[in-house]
Amino acid sequence: MPSPTDAEIFTRWANTEAPLLPILHAFHDRDGFLGEKAIHAISEALRTPIADLYGTVTFYHHFAQQAPGQSAPRVCTGPICKLKGADALLDAMRGEGATPMACSGRCDDPVPVLKGHQTLVACDGQMTPWYSPIPIPNPGGLEECVFASIREPDRGTHDGYRRTGGYLGLEKALATDPAAVRQTISDSGLAGRGGAGFPTGRKWDAVAEDPRGPKTIVCNADEGEPGCFKDRTLMDLDPHAVIEGMAIAAHATGATRGFIYLRYEYPETAQILERALKEARATGLLGGQTGFDLWVRRGGGAYICGEETSLLNSLEGKHPFPRNRPPFPVTHGYENLPTVVNNVETLASVPPILSNGADWYRQLGTGEHAGTKVISLSGDVLRPGNYEVPLGLPLSKLLHEWAGGVPEGRAIQAVTMAGLSGGFLAREGLDVTLDEPSIRAQGSFLGAGGIMVLDDSRDMVAVAHSAMEFFAHESCGKCFPCRIGTARLTERLGSGGPASFESWREEVDDIGSTMKATSACGLGMAAPLITESLARWFPDQVETHLNSTTS
Amino acid sequence: MIQQGQEEPAAIPTVNIDGANVPFTEGETLYEICSRQKKDVPTLCYDPRLDPFGGCRLCVVELEGARNPVASCTTRATAGMKVRTKTEAIENHRRTLLELVVSENRQVEVDELAGYASQELKILVERYDANRGRFQGKQSGQSRDDDDNPFILRDYDQCISCYRCVRVCAEQEGDHAISVMNRGFDTRITTEFNGLLRDSDCTFCGQCVQTCPTGALADKKALKHVDVPGKIEKTRSVCPYCGVGCSVDLLSKGDKLVGVLPAMDGPANEGALCVKGQFAFGFVQHDDRLKTPMVRDEDGKLHATSWDNALDRAAEGLRAVVERHGREALYAIASGRAPHEAAYTMQKMMRAGWGLNHIDNCSRA
Repeated sequence: MPSPTDAEIFTRWANTEAPLLPILHAFHDRDGFLGEKAIHAISEALRTPIADLYGTVTFYHHFAQQAPGQSAPRVCTGPICKLKGADALLDAMRGEGATPMACSGRCDDPVPVLKGHQTLVACDGQMTPWYSPIPIPNPGGLEECVFASIREPDRGTHDGYRRTGGYLGLEKALATDPAAVRQTISDSGLAGRGGAGFPTGRKWDAVAEDPRGPKTIVCNADEGEPGCFKDRTLMDLDPHAVIEGMAIAAHATGATRGFIYLRYEYPETAQILERALKEARATGLLGGQTGFDLWVRRGGGAYICGEETSLLNSLEGKHPFPRNRPPFPVTHGYENLPTVVNNVETLASVPPILSNGADWYRQLGTGEHAGTKVISLSGDVLRPGNYEVPLGLPLSKLLHEWAGGVPEGRAIQAVTMAGLSGGFLAREGLDVTLDEPSIRAQGSFLGAGGIMVLDDSRDMVAVAHSAMEFFAHESCGKCFPCRIGTARLTERLGSGGPASFESWREEVDDIGSTMKATSACGLGMAAPLITESLARWFPDQVETHLNSTTS
Repeated sequence: MIQQGQEEPAAIPTVNIDGANVPFTEGETLYEICSRQKKDVPTLCYDPRLDPFGGCRLCVVELEGARNPVASCTTRATAGMKVRTKTEAIENHRRTLLELVVSENRQVEVDELAGYASQELKILVERYDANRGRFQGKQSGQSRDDDDNPFILRDYDQCISCYRCVRVCAEQEGDHAISVMNRGFDTRITTEFNGLLRDSDCTFCGQCVQTCPTGALADKKALKHVDVPGKIEKTRSVCPYCGVGCSVDLLSKGDKLVGVLPAMDGPANEGALCVKGQFAFGFVQHDDRLKTPMVRDEDGKLHATSWDNALDRAAEGLRAVVERHGREALYAIASGRAPHEAAYTMQKMMRAGWGLNHIDNCSRA
């Protein structure tokens, strides 16, 4: 296929919804980078001030501004990949122009290398394409929600999806009054599975009750939290479940348009979703008479775009700083109009809830905890992967009975929670059940459900340092406590800062408490949990580290 | 007696600030109310002319019922809110924030000729007795010494990424010449393709300079006079360059004009100026400036003369024109660089003296 001209790109995209990201991608794909000529042309076509556009392009770390740009390999150096020798792989590939990239959401796989639109892994000395593995069934045969049919053959195609019960929830919803659909979701107890845990039914009610429109459903698929790879698995293996969930949400709220905001690092997922969307349109499930259509928009590489207001700014082509809240997206979301922003897993839970009923979903959880949660488990366990657990399941059961425990001869030293955002749990902190009240009582949170396991051979200060380096790299720069605080904490976990434990502790605690209290969004509030939990569980390792850097 | 169920007259909504109930109008932010109450809530990213941004977080206050302190600049008041502006915890966070900010900069002291808001950081650091030696580490920003434009110093070593410059350029000037590049600690204030101001859409209006709270963006013209001895005096005036009537505060040391500040309370400009009003004051004390009247003699050259002689010659010339062609042939243009009093006298002479309205000003914009 010949590469498109500027004019062809603008004809294709300039009059579509949320045009900036697809236009940036079209130029980036064509030229391999976003050069001055491209930015000039885009600025003119979209009538966007050129300095703003330039600044915004530089915000996204995957948009290259010069050759070799897109074609140069990017090696994941996330926390788990680091444990698996990512640094050595990166060094070996430096000759090809390889650069490091933050966790790319494949912590259950060999170290991934992103090259153009392909994810490759080193396999017997060859770089070979890699696809999302099917989740391991849980050993107790516990009933699942989003994974219930994901292992069925051809589940990713429209026909396969239909054959295994797909789109029944949508049919049922369309035959039901929107308010009743929302009531079912409220009754089910479903809450945001992206980490914030806001009741989904209440969110939908707020959007439905706002008289303004058009309304929008945004699927937050910017799964950037290190150690989280559940949304990718859901989209890769069960794309129609996400589409169906969005279509039900649209019916329930009166929305007419939708977006799946997908992280840059999931190019194969983009293709899978596009194919599924084509099928859904062809079979009359989207577009045309349905009054609802949705589009995939790929990000450019920025963890903060998983924060919903930053995501909305990114979609709108603005600088992706988080917005001030209130007002919230339910009233002032995409284009300042009522908008549902739901996580992939939340939306994928909706069709089975509609099919099987609110009570069915509620009772999947343990005790008073409603429903299930997909946990992305990685690191030093025998069987890493995604597990759909009943909320309230003891962590130790997941680690030992489901995932096979740590390798022989080792012991668990710590786990991370909420990917990295929840910091570490260790010793008696590991006696939690997988639900927010239990984990919050330990000063952490379950969040999006990424758990990284670290055995007793790991250097906790080094892990904390690379975690904080990640937060510093991803801090957007809007608010002072996060922009400066993440940099200072990174230095204090490396070779900088005070040498005595007491002064170290005092500085780190002061920075941390101010970040938690005053940061403008969740990134700056969560990052200090790394240092806080490190100092709580591993003060001896901190002291050893301080002694070694000063001697 | 009011019976149950009967509507009471609508009460004016109030918020409780540090124990006192304060009425407010719909849409007001907590910061605006606190300012009215003279609460002296600190801030570095706030400029009353700009949309609330919520970046520096110094203006956080405790709001009853909220899990965390809220930025008062971005929080709109609702009836019944209970706010505390100065608890020990809040003041400690403010001090820590200032210590963090200071740790990324090379220098806190800057000359006040740098710009209108240039002392804000310094004043807060002193007020909070923020420890400048704490939180040492790498420093942010990078001075653009290569930008040799004659007006705006871009000393980003002092930049604290409050984005007031970027926002004033977009929201007040409508210019969008400068923007934010990169992320986090690597954030930089930039122009298109990180170039020079003269290659950008910048009009050198200087508003970015005047809103900068650290002197990172500074007035190069004024800074030339740092070493002139004497205290800075401010004199309110009106910019002579055009008909808008922007209020300015002229800065002088002794009898020397050393700079111009836009008047934030100027009714026509509210803190805005253009490149001429802001930077083009050098002519006032320029060496080439005429210091005596000049007349052109028969040799065709200009010669210095007395005021009496010069005025006689002018009157003679004007009369000669009127005698030959009638008074309608007269037309007077005042210079934009002439004092207001001179411009006033000129029009008075034309209107009252000759009964004409043939007047103009060279910079009638």
